[in-house]
Formats: sequence, structure tokens, C-alpha cells
Amino acid sequence: MKSPEKSTEKTPTTNEPFAFSAANLETYKELLTRYDDVESALLPVLHLAQEQTGWLAENVITYISNLMSIPEIKIKEVISFYDMFYDVPVGRNIVQVCTNISCSMFGGREIYQGLLKHFDTGYLTPTRDGRISLQKMECLGACELAPCMRVNDDFVAITDLTSAIHKLEELP
Amino acid sequence: MKNTANNKDYALLSYHHIPGVHNIDIFERAGGYETMKECFNKEPEAIKEEVKLSGLRGRGGAGFATGVKWGFFTKDRNAKKYLLCNADESEPGTFKDRYLVEKNPHILIEGMIISAWALATQKGYIYIRGEFYQQAMILERAIKEAYAKGYLGKNILGKGFDFDLYVHRGAGAYICGEETGMISSLEGKKGQPKLKPPFPAIKGYRGLPTMVNNVESLAAIPWIMRHGAAAYKQWGTEKSPGTKLFSISGDVNKPGVIEVPLSTSLKDIIEIHCGGMRNGNKLKAVIPGGSSAPIFNAEDSYIVKMDYEDVAAKGSMLGSGAIIVLDETRNMGDVLKWTLEFYHHESCGQCTPCREGTGWLESVFKRREKGQAHKSDIDLLDKTASSMRGQTICALADAAAMPTQGMIKVFREELETYVSASTKK
Repeated sequence: MKSPEKSTEKTPTTNEPFAFSAANLETYKELLTRYDDVESALLPVLHLAQEQTGWLAENVITYISNLMSIPEIKIKEVISFYDMFYDVPVGRNIVQVCTNISCSMFGGREIYQGLLKHFDTGYLTPTRDGRISLQKMECLGACELAPCMRVNDDFVAITDLTSAIHKLEELP
Repeated sequence: MKNTANNKDYALLSYHHIPGVHNIDIFERAGGYETMKECFNKEPEAIKEEVKLSGLRGRGGAGFATGVKWGFFTKDRNAKKYLLCNADESEPGTFKDRYLVEKNPHILIEGMIISAWALATQKGYIYIRGEFYQQAMILERAIKEAYAKGYLGKNILGKGFDFDLYVHRGAGAYICGEETGMISSLEGKKGQPKLKPPFPAIKGYRGLPTMVNNVESLAAIPWIMRHGAAAYKQWGTEKSPGTKLFSISGDVNKPGVIEVPLSTSLKDIIEIHCGGMRNGNKLKAVIPGGSSAPIFNAEDSYIVKMDYEDVAAKGSMLGSGAIIVLDETRNMGDVLKWTLEFYHHESCGQCTPCREGTGWLESVFKRREKGQAHKSDIDLLDKTASSMRGQTICALADAAAMPTQGMIKVFREELETYVSASTKK
């Protein structure tokens, strides 16, 4: 992963304080009721924070650490372990391209490389308009769609690079 | 022969043809939750016994008998314990659980409630991989419907039994499909596996007894309890009873998920259920049980029966039932390279033989790209893989080593050509 210093294209910067929105604070409280200890809620809470801000910057980590009484280092360790938590700024849309066996058989790797070139970007680096971050992924669990991508929360079947570009050009 | 895929008479996809069956009222009109209600009038021990008699084997990959696993669980009904459904489905080539729950979430919830009653677990979690966001939402909605009907929560149907059920989303890590890795992840940590024993059934989530079962195993429980163990055993073999979901991808005309009796021949699965080979190409090889399973050449692929013992007898494993079909145009060097990149990326880093070993395996292919690999590197791959086996906390190292050695056994010459073709002299 790239270090946060390298890309500064997206707010919030690490200087702005972060807090859950009123609605998300309610969701947070509801999440805690699901578990027998606070730590177990960490993954869902990180998902929630990321839904609000797009990525998990230092200020978000500090806020969650205070909120849940979990050391920052432990939260950072967790964030770095999972592919779907982002500790670098990402674009408005996350596009994951599968490069595992079934998808690579049908051009998944060429599609990923082609998209990086087309959008003139690198792994997770947001496009200049801040619209898209591309992420190479291992098996996404939708091999019948091969080659397959995930665009934000949905699986998208594509046929080749051209159809992938076409799909992504529609994104807001 | 008739295509019997998704047959209504089978155990798991029997509701899949009903439009809108993700809705609880439609599911109930088709007979859903009836078995659960009947089970509340049965002794928990009788339910456990029936599941044991059915011979159902864990459908996540290991194939350990579900009833026997349940037998390791404490019988103290008041002790605090958990039921954890493994919906992390991450083995490359596997997408059966996704297909099952996105259309019919209630079959899993019904199975979990029956299991919770049998095992006296007060809380349950469905750990679903982060990529399955929409599927997690479908499950959340279905759980809400079940609460509204009084099938979940406190004092279910006045039986004095409490069971709460929640969806817990992962965040993209293959290793969380390993049951102790899943427990670490549920505890809010990195998904690193823990040494066994103690097994989760004794000491699992938060140090308490935890029963971890795969989606497909739990979803089979309502059918088994409704029709009985004997009826379940009408399918399959003595050691592999019942039906199984298979996820088929690769060079077939109709990739997808099918439910067939165990011991259905791979030839029938490819030619009948999947509409044959794509473009009429010749079959070259099949990965029969997810990327961890050693590959079969065409000859073995055409004679193997898809049950636990026959696939094992031919040197591979049934695993999660993920079948990847490869035709004559495929290069096995590419397939092994993609496989090994995956395991290196997914090693959790705890154990040296796995963390370093998966990297060494992958490095042969990196050297190849620079024109620096040699024919002898195939021996190096074999030796490295061999030294990784049985040395680690969990099975990921073995899962990388087995397909490597399997591939070398069947396609050595092709691999030697693959790595050395671009070697700079």
C-alpha cells in the first residue's frame, strides 16, 4: 500500500476532526448491542466510518480509538490486514477487478492493467477527477461472471476492457 | 440423460424456482419454517442424533461430519456459547453459498434456528465476506422478518428459548474462512488463525464454546429434519451421503451453481449440467475442489465421481465443490502462477514456513518474468512446497503446497517449458 503522504487529493485531511454523523452514531450504538464486548464491533464500526468518509484517515482512527477505547495501533493493525479497509485516500467509486484463476482465464489481468492505463492511475490511487480508485483483488466469489468486477457494492459482469471502460464511464 | 440441475426434489435449491422466496411469507407458503416449528417439539439430543445419522459432512471444504462436530459441543444448555455460520466463502472458484443465500436467505436462518435449539446456543453470527455486501443486506432483511415473526429473539414461540442472530461482515481476507481465523476476526482482530486444540467447540469466540458450520451444512439441516436421515442417504454414497452444491467456472458453456447428489460423475457435471465445453474445445484439466485442490488431467476428470472418497482416491480433494474447468488452450504455468500469487497475498504472516514459503513459490514466476528462471526451478518449487506441509498453525501453507505438487506431478514438462522458455542465455 502507498503511504498516506503520497496522495493528498481527497479530504478529509488528517487535521480535520472526525465524528460520526448523528445517524451513524445511532447505528454505532445499535451495533454495540449485537456483541458481548466492544472489540468485536470493530470491523462493523470501521465499515461504518468508511461509508461516511470514504477512507480511514488518522483523524478517523483517533476518533474510533477514543470512542471504543481501543488503542490506535490495534486499529491500524486491523485496517492494514484487510483489503477492503483503506488507509489511503480513495476515489468516490471503488472498482475492484478480480485477477484470480477463473477471471484471469477470461482476461481479468489484462482488463485491470488496461484500466490502470486508460485512467492513468495506479493501485487505489484516485483518478485526477477523484472519481475512481482501481483495486486488483483476489477471487471475489462470482466466478460464473468471469471476468468480473465489483463496482462499489455490486458485482458487474464484463466481457473485455472496452466493456469495463464503458461501465466505468457511467459512474458519477 | 436429463439435466437435473436445480431439481426441486433436492435438499438445498428446492425453493430456488419460487419467485420472491427471499420474502418470509412466500418462503412460509412454500413450507418454510414448518420444520423449525416441529423441531421445537423434539428433544435437542434427538435432533443431534438425526444429523449424525444423516452422515452430513461439513460443506466448507474439510468434509468433517457435522453431527460428530456437534457431539464435541458442551451439553450444558445454560452455558454461554455461540453458533457461527461460515459465509466467508473465499476459496477461489467457490460461489455456491452466495448463490444459495442471495435467493433464499431463510433456508439458512431456519437451519440456524434448528441448530441453535439443538445446541442451545444463545447467540449466532453469520460471518459473511466483505465483498458480499448485497448478500449481507439480503440476510439482514431476512433476519428482521424472522424477528418480526417471533422466530428469533427472546422466548421463541413461547418455548422459553432465546436465540439472537446477527450478520457480521468481513473486509477482504481469505484466511477468515478458516474457523479460528474467523473467530479472531469476529473478535475485532486481524484474522489470524489460532492453534488447535483447543478446538472452537471447546474454546472459541471470546474463549467460549463456539460451533462453526458452513452455510451449506446449516442450510441442509431443515431438509434432513423434515425428511429424516434415511431419506437424505438415498443420495450419494455411504461415506458421502446427500446432495452437494457445486460451483462451476472456466471453460464450460454454462458456468454456475448446481445441486446434485454426491458421487455424480464429473463428466456428467461438465457435459450435461454445464452444457459441455466452451467452443467445443477439448478438456485439458480440472481443478475439482477449489484452488487448493490438486489438478486432474483430462483422463482422471472423465472417470472421477464427485464424492469425498473418490476424489481423494484419485489424489485430490472435494473441498468446497469449486470446479474450475480448463480446456486445451490453457497453459498450466499461468494457472499455477495465478494460484501462487493468491496464496502469497493471503498468507496471514504468522508462521514462517507459510509467510516465506508462499513468497518463495511465487518468486519462481517473478524470476521467469525477468528471464531468470530455469527448468530446475520446478524441482525447487516441489521441494519448497514439500517443506511447507504440516508445519503451520492452519492449512493455508498446505493449501498452497498441494496444488503446486499436484500440478508438477501431472504437468511437469509443460511447467518446465513455461519457466525456461524466456530464460536469458
